[in-house]
Amino acid sequence: MPRYQATLLIELKDGILDPQGRAVEGVLKDLGHPVESVRVGKVLEVIFPAETLLEAEERAKAMGRLLANPVMEVFTLEALKELP
Amino acid sequence: MRWAIVRFPGSNCDEDARFALEKAGIKAEYVWHTERSLKGFDGVFLPGGFSYGDYLRAGALAAKSPVMEEVKRFAREGRWVLGVCNGFQVLTEAGILPGALLANLNLHFTCKEVGVRVERTDLPFTRLYQKGQVLRLPIAHAEGRYYADEETLARLEGEGLVVFRYAPLAGEKDYNPNGSLHDIAGIVNERGNVLGMMPHPERAVDEVLGGTDGLPLFLGLLEEVTA
Repeated sequence: MPRYQATLLIELKDGILDPQGRAVEGVLKDLGHPVESVRVGKVLEVIFPAETLLEAEERAKAMGRLLANPVMEVFTLEALKELP
Repeated sequence: MRWAIVRFPGSNCDEDARFALEKAGIKAEYVWHTERSLKGFDGVFLPGGFSYGDYLRAGALAAKSPVMEEVKRFAREGRWVLGVCNGFQVLTEAGILPGALLANLNLHFTCKEVGVRVERTDLPFTRLYQKGQVLRLPIAHAEGRYYADEETLARLEGEGLVVFRYAPLAGEKDYNPNGSLHDIAGIVNERGNVLGMMPHPERAVDEVLGGTDGLPLFLGLLEEVTA
């Protein structure tokens, strides 16, 4: 069965205060970078088998829904590719 | 009365939970998180700790454990569920209580004694307190900032579901230790049988531990059966 690699991005929703992002923002500014804002999220790379690209996409999205907390987070399927 | 204390990989307040329950006269047994049945128990305690190392989000992976399906059933059936600290995080991640616990505003792991005001006393958890009483309870967490959207907050306030709120101890100015919205320290579900809170009542049940303000919470549960 073909193997796929999905890259899931989990981020805090807009408008939810992100103290980690604030801290990173402060450091970058202190080091002289003209930064407007920083948000910190999580990247998950998942490798799994699926029969078709469509099935792989559905499965990746299902995993994103399972792992992101809808109260405060959104997830994006950033990339999906078949592995050689 | 017999309570289950669920142990997740990384639970570390399980023995404190047992100490507190037994001190109040409630039988307590440990249950591993892969169990699928809580048959024979009257209540379930989700203890504090760092389940799964707080990976992904605090409580997120534990919330998907097999035992949580049974905890959900417990909650639906009106049996007692108490989640403290990481246990509260697990309850919100599992959708049993609304909202979420985010990183403390100051980004510090905060371990200290705080003031906690009792907002309602019609629950078994709080029947032995006075309304408005300010308890001294320890907190120890990095992700305890209660968050919910405006609509949920309005519902919590409107239905009186906020049971515990951070409040100043004598002379204290900055009393909210984590930036929780509405100073929320603990909430209950509509039915009143599921309580989640960040402060640790089980660590304040003996003078040796520095205080006893947590003990009435457990004694109140016992009265529920004998009343």
